Amino acid sequence: MEATRQIYWNVGHGVVIPMYILAAAAFGYMVWGFRQRLLIWRQGRALDRFDRYDERVKRMIGEVFSQIKVFRVTDGGVFHSVFFWCFLVLFAGTMMVMFQADLFTPLLQVNILSGEFYKAFSLVLDIAGILAIFMLAGLFVRRFVIQPKGLEIVRDDYIVLQLLFAILITGFLIEGARMAATELQQNPDLARFSPGGLLAGQLFTTLSAGTLLVTHKILWWFHFALVLGFFCAIPYTKLRHIFTTSINSFLAPFEPKGSIATINLEDDSVEQFGAATISDLSWKDIFDADACTSCKRCQDRCPAYATEKPLSPMKIVKQIGELAAGNPGGNLSETVSQDALWACTTCYACQDVCPADIEHVNKILEMRRNLTLMEGAFPGDEVRTAVSNIEVNGNPFGLAYASRGDWADGLQLSLLEHDSDVDILYFVGCYASFDKRNQAVAKNFIKICTAAGVKVGILGKEEKCCGEPVRKLGNEYLYQMTANENIGLITAYNVKKIVTTCPHCFNTLARDYKDLGLNIPVEHYSTYVNTLLDSGRLKLEPEPFSFTYHDSCYLGRYMDIIDQPRAILRHAGGAITEMDKNGYDSFCCSAGGGRIIAEEKLGSKISEARVKMATDTGAPLLVSNCPFCLTMFEDGIKTGGAEGLLQVRDLAEIVAERIVP
Amino acid sequence: MKLLVCIKQVPDLESRFKPDAAGIWYNETDLAFRMNEYDEYAVEQAILLREKLGEEAELTVLSIGPDRVVEALKKSLAMGCDNAVHIQDPAASSKDPWQIASAIAAYATDKGFDIIFTGMQSQDRGSAQVGVIVAELLGFACTTTIVGFDYDNGTVIAKRELEGGIKGVVRMKTPALVTCQMGLNIPRYPTLPNIMKAKKKEIVTIPVADLLTEAPLATTISFHPPAKKGGGIVLEGDVGDLVEKVIAILKDKTAVLR
Repeated sequence: MEATRQIYWNVGHGVVIPMYILAAAAFGYMVWGFRQRLLIWRQGRALDRFDRYDERVKRMIGEVFSQIKVFRVTDGGVFHSVFFWCFLVLFAGTMMVMFQADLFTPLLQVNILSGEFYKAFSLVLDIAGILAIFMLAGLFVRRFVIQPKGLEIVRDDYIVLQLLFAILITGFLIEGARMAATELQQNPDLARFSPGGLLAGQLFTTLSAGTLLVTHKILWWFHFALVLGFFCAIPYTKLRHIFTTSINSFLAPFEPKGSIATINLEDDSVEQFGAATISDLSWKDIFDADACTSCKRCQDRCPAYATEKPLSPMKIVKQIGELAAGNPGGNLSETVSQDALWACTTCYACQDVCPADIEHVNKILEMRRNLTLMEGAFPGDEVRTAVSNIEVNGNPFGLAYASRGDWADGLQLSLLEHDSDVDILYFVGCYASFDKRNQAVAKNFIKICTAAGVKVGILGKEEKCCGEPVRKLGNEYLYQMTANENIGLITAYNVKKIVTTCPHCFNTLARDYKDLGLNIPVEHYSTYVNTLLDSGRLKLEPEPFSFTYHDSCYLGRYMDIIDQPRAILRHAGGAITEMDKNGYDSFCCSAGGGRIIAEEKLGSKISEARVKMATDTGAPLLVSNCPFCLTMFEDGIKTGGAEGLLQVRDLAEIVAERIVP
Repeated sequence: MKLLVCIKQVPDLESRFKPDAAGIWYNETDLAFRMNEYDEYAVEQAILLREKLGEEAELTVLSIGPDRVVEALKKSLAMGCDNAVHIQDPAASSKDPWQIASAIAAYATDKGFDIIFTGMQSQDRGSAQVGVIVAELLGFACTTTIVGFDYDNGTVIAKRELEGGIKGVVRMKTPALVTCQMGLNIPRYPTLPNIMKAKKKEIVTIPVADLLTEAPLATTISFHPPAKKGGGIVLEGDVGDLVEKVIAILKDKTAVLR
């Protein structure tokens, strides 16, 4: 006899019509539930996330089925991914049964589910079911027994876990009951291809034939009811993430990471800048809240959260969702709290790790824009002063703008106002121009360029703050003022290429200035020096040293520059010991998002936490390539008691010391 | 009710000051200009009163100087002043406080202002005379260096800062003039909608010659940096040696060890 099984065994074909009617009702209920959510999402501003349709679909299919983003964090991620694949197999198997029973058999009179294929089918599905139960058990133990810090337990967790367990268990029980009646004795060879059913079947061997049939029927309907319950529950519980998180992979932006909407300041009709209420956010920002599964990976990586500040990116996303559903007129920054908004360093760790493609950072920036542009608010008086200094002198220190180029006195470079025929414009930035520690970095960068025969020009006193700190604090107006002045100058000098030593200037000039009309190649010196080394224009005498390297957020996560600085340091003779948090997982120094001009008044110091991670490697030297990082670590080493244990130096200093004369 | 606030645009104090060619004032090359700090308190206080009084009040901001002072006027408009007057004078820096006050008084005399706010003094010249002379010329009640302000029904109550941390309270009937000191308030940061609105507000320009007929009473004769006295010495090296060096210097150059 060919291996197969009788579909609708015992329950009979009479169930088909009521089954489809009930299933349609459950689907209807689900669709209606999403329709209710749709009304919530549509409270947001318009935003086009349906362009480049094919690419979006491709990305979604890739990300969802590979589970690549979920898998990235193994804690919880492995269980989820394996469960997802198993459940997918079970779903596909059930679909095949459905097509076989209600399409192929009645219409074509063929049975695909037979013979060797049926054996494989049965085995694969049973293994998937067993694995799924184990994964679910793992997730259960993780959430309710281990309870990782920050993982909340909410109503949905009970519903979802119980429902899924019950569906899987009853599935095996039905199979077991059927096999007890039709396979265990009659066809033990075939029964071996259903290990789950084989095991479950043992429960029913002592039952009388009549009881067994009734039990099977009850189980069948119970299982069916659970499955319908599952579909009904999707829009109303965390289960909605099956759709929303997947769709978010479709909706994710294609713009370069870190892109911020450039406000049109000429438009007189605009009366609200930034987000004061839900309706000032985009519909995608509200949708994000429904895509969030509260996996708290963002919170785990947030440097502000890790140092006891009142910010959790996850909480903000949730709060937006709660406002949108419950109190759409409510004030966002009051709900989220100003302290939480100002605490963000825009380090992008939350967004980078989010398996649901949620855009945390720009939500915070839009709320900051409202605080700054509509209410004239500041995180502190020191920021008020620094902002006023940028307005007057073009730098946050308030030092005379005319002394901006003084650091370069006596060095081999051109002031563009005198000679604009240069290979590169070095956009120095405020820190390298005015801060003594960072002036050393600028001088070393010039030394490197001179050795490589690169003719460097600077703007000197004509250069102004790139505007990054104030933009990230929400002050788009001041940002555009200083940016437009810089762009006007750079364009007038007909510059061919710009190099920066500051990753913040780099991001701003290379990406943000494009919106304002600057289209000149911009590079950070990490990649520029690496190219000089590769091309042989710059030669180094390697000298061994051991170090650990800090990835600046705005180089690593924002610009994917991770290998190049390490390659340079290897070239210089360095032996690296990585910190646990490196590359895309790097931990912010505390100074991004405009925090460089703000005092860190809440919680413990982020810079000290990062310095501790560096000293834990045992390396005596911490290398960075960002003026903000260098400043924060100099400070963190002093206040964190790491003096004598750890020294922080800039990449340019290491390279300049090893130049072959 | 009509309110006036008088402001001055001054160089940022971090700028590098160099004497001008004549050696009687500073050279403006490479200077960054901003609103005089004390005038920011005056503007803020005037706006707070303007907001309290509502539609019945009108707040005018006035500044004397070359065209660059329009930036300071624009900032005041963005903060919340209703309209602005620019008394155009490319040579304002050569005018003495008497002349500046006379020009303001000449402008204000027939406008019916009830309260005038000024800064306590300017950060560059620092005479602290303009406000009080304007009050005298207009016959206004006047009090200076205020750190607290209240107005009710024709009466100004101002808290003044006196020597040694002591405060005094003054009550005046309007018309009155107050000069404002640090501590009075925290000047607001203009919001973007207000910056946009300010672009449409009127700035009236009046040539200074239309208002000023007075000759100076005081003339600046020289502007120069203080003569360099001996600079500081930074000692470096071993602590023991440092002690020896310090004692030697104290013996040699001071009387403390004799």
